[in-house]
Parts: sequence; C-alpha cells; structure tokens
Amino acid sequence: MIECSHVYKRYKNGTNALYDLNFSVDQGEFVYIIGPTGSGKSTLIKLLDAEETPTKGDVRVVGLDVGNLKNRQVPIYRRNIGVVFQDYRLLPTKTVFENVAYALEVINMNKKQIRKRVNEVLEVVSLNEKGNSFPHELSGGQQQRVAIARAIANRPKVLIADEPTGNLDPSKSDEIMKLLQKINTEYGTTILMVTHDLTIVNRHRKRTVVLQRGHIIADLPEGGYVQHDQ
Amino acid sequence: MISRPISEGFRGVARHWAMSISSIIAVTTTLIIISLFLIFSYHMQLFTKSVESSMQIYAGVDYDYEDDEDRIRAEIEALDEVKTVKYYTKDEEYEFFLSQYDDEQTREVFSPYKEDNPLHDAFYVEAKDGKQIQDLSKKIGNIEGIYMTNYGGQSTVNMVSAMSKIRRFGGFLVIFLGLLAIFLIQNTIKLTIYARQDEIAIMRNVGATNSFIRAPFVMEGIITGTLGALVPIALTIYGYYYVYEKTGGVLISNMFRLVRPNPFVLYLAGILLAIGVLVGLIGSFMSVTRYLRWKR
Ligand SMILES: Nc1ncnc2c1ncn2[C@@H]1O[C@H](COP(=O)(O)OP(=O)(O)OP(=O)(O)O)[C@@H](O)[C@H]1O
Ligand SMILES: [Mg+2]
Repeated sequence: MIECSHVYKRYKNGTNALYDLNFSVDQGEFVYIIGPTGSGKSTLIKLLDAEETPTKGDVRVVGLDVGNLKNRQVPIYRRNIGVVFQDYRLLPTKTVFENVAYALEVINMNKKQIRKRVNEVLEVVSLNEKGNSFPHELSGGQQQRVAIARAIANRPKVLIADEPTGNLDPSKSDEIMKLLQKINTEYGTTILMVTHDLTIVNRHRKRTVVLQRGHIIADLPEGGYVQHDQ
Repeated sequence: MISRPISEGFRGVARHWAMSISSIIAVTTTLIIISLFLIFSYHMQLFTKSVESSMQIYAGVDYDYEDDEDRIRAEIEALDEVKTVKYYTKDEEYEFFLSQYDDEQTREVFSPYKEDNPLHDAFYVEAKDGKQIQDLSKKIGNIEGIYMTNYGGQSTVNMVSAMSKIRRFGGFLVIFLGLLAIFLIQNTIKLTIYARQDEIAIMRNVGATNSFIRAPFVMEGIITGTLGALVPIALTIYGYYYVYEKTGGVLISNMFRLVRPNPFVLYLAGILLAIGVLVGLIGSFMSVTRYLRWKR
C-alpha cells in the first residue's frame, strides 16, 4: 500500500527533513509514526499526500509513483487516499454536510448517491444531527470527526492522519482512536497515523515507526513505544 | 454537471456577502464613470460630425467664365479632398437669397436686382474632412474662373480641430477608464480570492481539479459583475431619459442635440452589462488561476 525506498527530503531553504527513509505498510495495517517535534513527521505526510516531492528516492502509494506525479494528476491521485489534517481543514463557509459532500462532488458522484453516502459516514462518526451546522459551530473533537468523515467518504484504501488527536483532551482522543480502529477493522482501510501522544501509543498498541532528526530510528512491529531520554 | 458552478457561484456570493459587496461597489463606481464618458464622447462625436458637415466652401464664378461650368466642376471634382460639389446658377442663388426673407417689403426692395443680378454662379463644395477645408478652399480659389472662395472662416476650423482633439481625448479616456476598471475590479477580486486561498488549498487537498475549483469562482465573478452593473444601468436609463425630457433633447443650440433615448440607452445598458460580466469573468479567472498555478 505504502512504500518508501531511500527517500530524502531537502527543502528549498536547505533544511534536510528526511534521510534515507525505508519502510513499507501493507494493506489493512494500522501504523503510528511518532517522533519529537521537527523530526520530519509532517514532511513525510506531505510526501505521501503529494504536496511535496522527494528530493531523492521513491514514494509509492496504492501502486502509484507519488513523487513523480504531474501537478494536474495530483488531485486525481488524492481521490485514492483520505487525509485528516491536524488543523481539520474544513471549508468554513460550507456546512458539515456540504464539507463531506464536496469530497464526493469532485469525483462526480450523483446527488442522490452523495446524500446517501454523506449520511452514512456522518452516522459512522456520530454527527448525523450536525449536518447543517457550520464548522465554527462545532467543538474541536466534532470538527476532527467531520474531517475523518470527509476523508473516508469515498472509501479510500489508505487513510493518513496527522495528529488527529492533537488538540483534544484524553477522553475525546479515545473517541477518535476508537473511530479510527473501527474504520481499520470494519473497512480494512490502511491507516497511517502521526502522533505526539505517547499515552495513546502505549494504550492502543500498533506497529510504531519512530522518527528522529529525519531518520527512522526504530520500527516496532508490536508497538508500545517506551520513551527514552532525549 | 453544468448547474453546479452556477448554484455554487450564487451560494458563494451570498456566503461571502461582505467581500461580494466590496467587489460590487468597485464595479458599480467604475461603470457609472464609464457610462458618463460613453455618453459624453458619443455626443462629442456626433456634434463634431454635424459641425463638420455644415461646413461648405462657397466658390463664386467670375462673370467672364459663366460658360465654363463643366470644366470648373471637373477641376474641382479632381481634387482629392472633395466630397460633394453642388452648382447653382446666379438666378437660383437669387431665388434662394430672396426666399430667406418672409416679408413682402424686403422682397420689394431687392426686386430690381432680379434683372441686374449682382450674384454669381456658384459651386458649393464639401470637404471629406473638416480639417482640410482651409487647404481645399485655397486650391479651389486658384482654379481659373473662380473669382473668390469663402468658408466658415478660421474660427470654425479652430472649433472643428479643437473638437476632434476633445473627441480623441474622450475616446482615449474611455479606453483608459475601461482598463482602470478592469484593474480595480480584478484587484478587488484578487483580494477576495486571496482571503479565500485557504479554501482553495483545502479544495485541492480533497482532490478537486483546478477547473472544478475555478468554475464556481468564475461564476461568482460573473454574478458580481452583473450585480455591479445593475445600478449603473438603471442610473443611465433613468438619468438619460430625465435629462432628455427636461431639455427637450436640445443643449446650448440646435446644433447640439441629444440622441433620442430609445435605442441609445439600451445599447449603453448592453455595453455596461457586457463590461461588468467580462470584467468579473476575466478578473476572477485570472486571480484563481494565478493562485492555483503554484499549488500542488
Ligand atoms: N516548508 C518548509 N520549508 C523549509 N523547511 C521546512 C518546511 N517544513 C518543514 N521544514 C523543516 O523540516 C523539518 C521537519 O519538519 P516537520 O514539519 O516535518 O516536523 P514534524 O515532525 O512534523 O514536527 P512537529 O511535531 O512539530 O509537527 C523541520 O526542521 C522544519 O523546520
Ligand atoms: Mg508536524
């Protein structure tokens, strides 16, 4: 599903964000990416999302060479993956319903199917009563759930989430985790989740990839990351 | 689906009401100014034309050459600047002269001259261009058998050249204002789209192609341009009818008349609407495109 081989990323200003990254994720896996701030987690996500291109190396997602997509191919590629951003990235002037519907409008689904599917995924994230609310009328946890609903609306094979629990208190974080696990087990969606939150990593044990200063310093198949001195 | 950008466009205008209003006001003010200058320069053009066409050269024929009408006419017509040539015998000249007086008494006074006519056979010549009239007059004067020529005089020539300058300046001003309008409106639209660049980025994140993102924005621009044209159109129609009725269509003198409002005002409305729509379309298209180009 996801394959990085010898991936380097050097930003235009000279910052080296990633060095020789090698890892792969199989279909149906649930993987944490953890690491201190500035270790390159978001950079990795941007590479997977085709927002940035690798300086060297291959990034492959769902069989596509993501690093070499032309600009106009990028939107088409993104329809294969769902991305949940730490800052939600909901359209402020669209309602919850319209936000989720937008991800389906871009693939030209017809209105009736869109309505059906949006109601379905809002049900999954338990927000079917908030369809007509605007994002600013929702709590952070609710907005995060809308973002997740939008990301899974067109049944992507891969879901990538950048700190989906970043701004939430522990009980809300658990809600989101349960939701993601449900998506992972019920739909077989491959999930790659970036997080800071070691409590979560230790409570819900999954394969864990540890980044530090742009290097993968550990890839723990059983999870349960034990924090060492920094 | 074609209806999507349209409904999305209307929704966009409604949901970004404050921004829409500022764009609409930019369109409205510039279109009002453009409307005024269109009216002004169109009338200036008509006025100049009417003054120019009223300018004729009078060329009197020497008594000794009265049999040379055909030759002189041919020589006049051979000149490049000539548009039309009319010929009147001195008897016709006398009748015309007399017809200008209504009262019997004056006619009586002139009656002895019918037999001993002091007037000349005459050519009346129009120039193709009012500015050539002085030159042409001189050339005709040099033809053998013409004893004198006369035209409106230097003051008329000056007026014509002044007016053609004003006219050219007016046309230039309309073009300049049009460009200024496009610039102003495009800038406003650019600002409103700049304020919404996050929105555009999010749309890309969710897998929307550039054309899918662009369509509703362009539609918004068209709607904004159309809404912005409404007030100028209404003002132009009502304002022009009002002025036309108040003045009876005559300004200053009979020579300077206002065009009848009926088709004129509709043409103006059409032009204003077209400018509004085009500027909205081009402005929004360019702004979104410029922003999208660098987006992956
Ligand atoms: N657009 C950019 N241009 C230049 N340098 C960047 C850019 N984005 C990130 N960097 C740099 O790349 C390095 C990795 O950043 P990245 O955002 O991937 O870290 P992160 O692991 O997501 O950190 P955090 O946990 O704080 O979000 C940092 O040194 C950062 O300053
Ligand atoms: Mg980050």
